[in-house]
Amino acid sequence: MHCAACSGLIEAALLKLPGVAAASVNAASARLSLRWQPARLALANVLSALQAAGYRATPDVAAPARALRRQERRQALWRLFVAGFLGMQVMMMATPAYVAGAGELAPDLDQLLRWASWVLTLPVMAFSAMPFFVGAGRQLRAGRLGMEVPVALGIAVTFIASSGALFDPGGAFGREVYFDSLTMFIALLLLARWFELGARHRAAEALEAVADGLPMAAERLLDGGGSERVPPEALRVGDRIRVVAGEAFAADGQVLAGQGWVNEALLTGESAPVAKAPGDAVVAGSLNLDGSLVVAVQRVGADTTAQGIVRLMQQAQSQRPRVGGVLDRVAAGFTAGVLLLALSAGLAWWWIEPARAVAVAVAVLIVTCPCALTLAAPAAWLTASGALARRGLLLADLSALERLCNVDTVIFDKTGTVSEDRLRLQRHWAPGGDADRLLAMARGLAALSRHPHARALAESGDAGDWFDVHELPGRGIEARDASGRLWRLGAPAWVADPPDPAARLAFGPAGAAPVLWLDLAELPRPDAAEAVAALHAAGRRVGLLSGDQPAAVARMAAQLQIDGWRGGATPQDKLAAVKQSQARGERVLMVGDGINDAPVLAAADVCIAMGQGAMLARAHADALLVSNRLMAVPQALALARRTRRVLHQNLAWAALYNLACVPLALAGWLPPLAAGIGMAASSLIVVLNAQRLAR
Amino acid sequence: MDILYLLIPFSVVLVLLIVAVFGWAVNSGQLEDLAKEGERILLDEDQVPQSSARKESSASD
Repeated sequence: MHCAACSGLIEAALLKLPGVAAASVNAASARLSLRWQPARLALANVLSALQAAGYRATPDVAAPARALRRQERRQALWRLFVAGFLGMQVMMMATPAYVAGAGELAPDLDQLLRWASWVLTLPVMAFSAMPFFVGAGRQLRAGRLGMEVPVALGIAVTFIASSGALFDPGGAFGREVYFDSLTMFIALLLLARWFELGARHRAAEALEAVADGLPMAAERLLDGGGSERVPPEALRVGDRIRVVAGEAFAADGQVLAGQGWVNEALLTGESAPVAKAPGDAVVAGSLNLDGSLVVAVQRVGADTTAQGIVRLMQQAQSQRPRVGGVLDRVAAGFTAGVLLLALSAGLAWWWIEPARAVAVAVAVLIVTCPCALTLAAPAAWLTASGALARRGLLLADLSALERLCNVDTVIFDKTGTVSEDRLRLQRHWAPGGDADRLLAMARGLAALSRHPHARALAESGDAGDWFDVHELPGRGIEARDASGRLWRLGAPAWVADPPDPAARLAFGPAGAAPVLWLDLAELPRPDAAEAVAALHAAGRRVGLLSGDQPAAVARMAAQLQIDGWRGGATPQDKLAAVKQSQARGERVLMVGDGINDAPVLAAADVCIAMGQGAMLARAHADALLVSNRLMAVPQALALARRTRRVLHQNLAWAALYNLACVPLALAGWLPPLAAGIGMAASSLIVVLNAQRLAR
Repeated sequence: MDILYLLIPFSVVLVLLIVAVFGWAVNSGQLEDLAKEGERILLDEDQVPQSSARKESSASD
């Protein structure tokens, strides 16, 4: 895959085959999903059709893809170096001809310098510029005019004309050589591609990181006692595996024996551990934090919950509505216009002065070589993504900026996104007792438990002296202090009778007074309300979509003044809600975390994942909010609009440059210096204009 | 100025040599993990650089 446009070509090539039902290519992650009838078409034929179209396919396993990417990266770097380094040398060789006065440069020395330029340009043409020719050939075969065609045409014509002028001065091509502009042009284009390649590889690598959640080996218990280490693929339904503390589960299953806390952040996005006892279900990829568990395997491999969600997400992502890039729209018209112009110029000069007709047509093609045009988008996108990165928002897909412009609806997930993913002590009171002294004791006892409620209390982490500590699932924790008195921390009804209905947690001596009542609540992030207000002010609709209890979601929505909210939503519900919005013509930006958000993130027009969210959600996000500051979201939307403005200015400038230089070429007066300066200046202005986005 | 007739071809050959050396460096993987090379001096001989294992899966360019 060379660029995003390739995905369309691959799909078209495959859909032509008999027996192929559906083919869709994800450009960012370089993945193809294909549905075909094996009876009518062998896999080998599919692969050879891909080969004929100019692409190679490997099975979707991380290792060969990684090797392929490394190869691609090395190749791109070497191409860039060859073009850049030789381009500088060619420029040095060209300088004497520009600065020397009339008669200062001996004709044979001038010829020698031109020869040297030609020799140095040769590797650039034969090696560095290869991707442009290959890409143009591919676009022509597919019958589409993309940006590659005018680029390849410009490069080829410039080189042929300059070589002609070198071998046969005064021939049909005139006597001007443009080797310096040519190599500089190729180097600039390759530089832009190099950055694009980096962004694409980051996305592909993040996607593969999902596979890292599964352990490399599992401990299978044998019927006759004892155990063996086997790879997860070797597990069968009905096997028993032992998972010790710190290990990840290799398969979905049911706990047979043992007790422990399990981190299911991969699945839920909640970092709070979940207690597991015999009879509970565990899912592959989640992490056993303490205790040793024996698990009966129920689902393996592709049937596991995690893999099921991965599939749902990949489907949603490859069906994402495709927004045609502004460049693709410009390219086709531009190419056709340039070709017509060159042809008519050549014909016109054929009547005026036949000897110069070819030279003029060539000059038109050289001057319209779309350098600034191809740099316009990457330059603006890269600068804007740098500016966003400083605000804590990392873009995985640069073209997301173009999609961000049209967003009119922003949907947030609740837990971990607009709220911090842990509880905070809201209020504590102890009728007839010293509340603060009791709270200090409760914090100490809480440090011994891993329950989310206890974690919220135990901020200091200093346990104090406790003996005979017992943790009772569903109730709380009890322990004796130094004087042998039994204290309880847990469910209000278990600690004291009657319980205070306002409290979520209680602490006190068993069956006696005084009792400390505690109320815990989920707090919104400090800047959540500000971000929502900013989005409203910018005229965007804001929604809240959560799998949590409707009451809790309603409270959070009221606190942040979000009108459209929905609680108790499953991943499918969320997906349906987003699809519904999209069906109404809204462009949806989804901000979420957790693997259960992953499918809906993938279906939204643009998605942003929270930095501490589950791996899987991050893997598919267009952008990653590492600072966890929600204000970055309205800022990103505003910056995306500015980026589009700058992009349009850049395109206008590139057009203006062509408008100014084409008449010169048409008049048959285009010195190499003017072509070089024009090309450098237009590229430079485009890049500098993009720098305004960095502020 | 006659020396230029020798120096210009000579510089062309030199430039092509430099390109070849760089190509060898790129393709033998010397530019894969630049951060690792900087950190290597801080590690003992028997220590595996921790970052390189991690970067293997998350390297960006």
